[in-house]
Amino acid sequence: MTIRALGAYDFPAKDRQELFGDDQLVNVFWEGNTFIVGPGCFRVPRSMTWADFRSQVMDPWASADPDYQPDKAVDFRNDDEAMNPKPKQTIEQLGIPHKGLIKFRLA
Amino acid sequence: MAKASMRERYTELTRGLAWEPTYVSHEQLYPHTRFEGIKIHDWDAWEDPFRLTVDAYAKYQSEKDKRLYAVVDSFAQGQGHLNATDARYFNSLRLFLQGVTPLEYAAHRHFAYLARHLDGPGPRFASLCQSIDELRHNQTETHAISMYNKYYDGLHNPNLMHDRVWYLSVPKSFFDDGISAGPFEFMTAISFSFEYFLTNLLFVPFMSGASFNGDLSTMSFGFSAQSDESRHMTLGLECIKFILEQDEDNVPIMQDWIDKWFWRGYRLLGLVACMQDYFLPKKVMSWKEAFELYLEQQMLEGLFPDLDYYGIRPPRHVEQAIAEKEYVSHQVFWVLYQFSHAASFTTTIPHDEEMDWMARQYPDTFNRYYRPMYLKARAMQQAGKRFFNGGLPMLCQVCQIPMGFTEIGKPALQAQRFSIHQGERYNTCSDGCQWIFEREPEKYRQAWLPVHQIYQGNCGGPTLPEVMEWYGLQPGDSGEYLDSQDAKNWELWHQPEGVS
Repeated sequence: MTIRALGAYDFPAKDRQELFGDDQLVNVFWEGNTFIVGPGCFRVPRSMTWADFRSQVMDPWASADPDYQPDKAVDFRNDDEAMNPKPKQTIEQLGIPHKGLIKFRLA
Repeated sequence: MAKASMRERYTELTRGLAWEPTYVSHEQLYPHTRFEGIKIHDWDAWEDPFRLTVDAYAKYQSEKDKRLYAVVDSFAQGQGHLNATDARYFNSLRLFLQGVTPLEYAAHRHFAYLARHLDGPGPRFASLCQSIDELRHNQTETHAISMYNKYYDGLHNPNLMHDRVWYLSVPKSFFDDGISAGPFEFMTAISFSFEYFLTNLLFVPFMSGASFNGDLSTMSFGFSAQSDESRHMTLGLECIKFILEQDEDNVPIMQDWIDKWFWRGYRLLGLVACMQDYFLPKKVMSWKEAFELYLEQQMLEGLFPDLDYYGIRPPRHVEQAIAEKEYVSHQVFWVLYQFSHAASFTTTIPHDEEMDWMARQYPDTFNRYYRPMYLKARAMQQAGKRFFNGGLPMLCQVCQIPMGFTEIGKPALQAQRFSIHQGERYNTCSDGCQWIFEREPEKYRQAWLPVHQIYQGNCGGPTLPEVMEWYGLQPGDSGEYLDSQDAKNWELWHQPEGVS
C-alpha cells in the first residue's frame, strides 16, 4: 500500500547507509538473556574485523551482565542464517547489512 | 423579543454564523478533506455532542480555573509536597510533564487546524472548543506540577526534553504521526483511539496515582480536566459514527486506521503501564487490572459489539496486547531501569513488599521472570556496581521503544522483525509495528530514531556527557534513585527535627 498524501511524497530515510560513510550500524542480540533487555546498536567501520568487533564492541557490551563469558558465546547468526565468522573477516565480508542483526547465545 | 433558549443560541452562534462560499468552491475552501478517500455527503448530519457557545464555554472554564488555582496555591503554601508517599513518586510526574503535557500543546495546535479545515460548522466548532481545552490543559498541568520544580530534579525543561530525549521520542513521534496524517485519520487517531478507546488507561493511572500518593495538586488538575475529557470522549465517538454513517466506502478505511492507532496507542501506553506498576510507591491498581477493566471489559465487550453494527471489528493485534498484560509493565520498567543513566528520571529495584504485591498481581510471570533479575541487580548494587546497560539500544522504527518486547506467550524471547523498503532495512519490535511500517514505509522511513541520530553526531556530540548536556539534563536528574539528591533531600526533610 502506498501512502495517501496531498502531493508528491518522497523523503529519504534519516539513517540511510550513505549518512554513515565507511561505517554502518550493527545490532547485536544475546538470545536467551533478558537481563540485558534487548539488542544493542553500534556504529562500526565496515572494515572492522570480527576479532576487533568481539573485543571492542560485543564483549564489553555483553559484560554488563556479570554472567557473560566471552569464550562461551556460540551459535552466531546473521538474522537467522547461521554463520561461522573467522577472526580476520570484516563486517562487510560477513555480509552484515546496515542496521542488520547478529544473534548469538551462550553455550 | 423573548430570550433565546440555550439550544437556539447555540444554533445561531455556530451554524447560524456559517456561510456558503460564493467566490471559491467548497473544494478550494476546504482542500484537505478529500485526499484520504473519506466521503462525506452531508456535513449537517453531524450531531453536536455538546452544545456550547463561546461565552458559556469561557464561563465554565474560568470557574474551574479559579477552583483549581485555589487548591494549587494552598497546597504549595502548605508545603504539600512533603505529604507525598515517597520522592520516587515524582518520577511519574516527570514522565507526565515531559511526555504528556507537550502532547496537550500539540493537540491544541492540531485541533485549531481542524477548526479551520473541516467543512461543517458543527465539527469545526467542536474542534475549536477542544483546541482551547488542550491549551488550557497544557497550562494547568504545567502550573500544577511547577511547584515541585523548586524541590525535585528533572522537571526544569519538559519541552526541550520532549523534543530531544530518547524515551520521549516515543510520545512525540506518536503524535507527529497523527498530525502529519489527514484530518480524518487524525480524528480517528486522537479523538477516537486516544481520547475514547485508550483514555482511561492513560488518565486514571496518573490521576488516581496522584490521589493515592498525596499529590493534591496534580489530582486537582485531573478533576478540573475531567469534564473536558468526557466531552472529548463524546466527540471521539461522534467522529467515527458520523464518518461511518456517511458512506459504506468509509468503513474499510476507518477499520485500517482503528487497527493502526490501537497498536500505536497501546505501545505508547507501555510507558504508563510501567509508571503504574513501578513509579507509584502506593499502588492504585495494577496495569493488568486496569487493562482488564478499561480495555477488555469496557471497550472490547462494551464498545465493539456496538461498532459491529457498522461493520467494524475489534482492532488487529489486540490479542497480543491481551497476552502482554501479564508482563508488559515489567518489560518496559526493565528498559527504563537499565537506561536510566541517560534519562530524566531515576529508577530503583522495588523493595520486597512491592515485589510480593507484583507476584500476587502477576502470578504467572513475576516470580518466574522478573524477581530473579531484580535480585541479581540488587546484589550487583549492594556490591557497588549498579547495573546499567553498556550500550545504546536497538530501537523499533515505528514505536521507537528499545526492542525489549517478546514473542507472544514467550516472555523470555525478545522479538525482532525487519522489512526491506527500496533496498534499505528497517527493524520493528512486533507484528503490530511491522504491519504499520509496511502500510506506509514512505512515512516511517523518516523516523528520527534517537540512537541512530546520536551515532550520526546530531545530538550534541559522540559521548554520553555531550548527549546529556544537549538533552538539557543536569547532574541528579538521572540514574539510581537511592543515590539521587531527591532521595537524600527526602530523607533530610523527613527527619523528626523537620526541614533544615
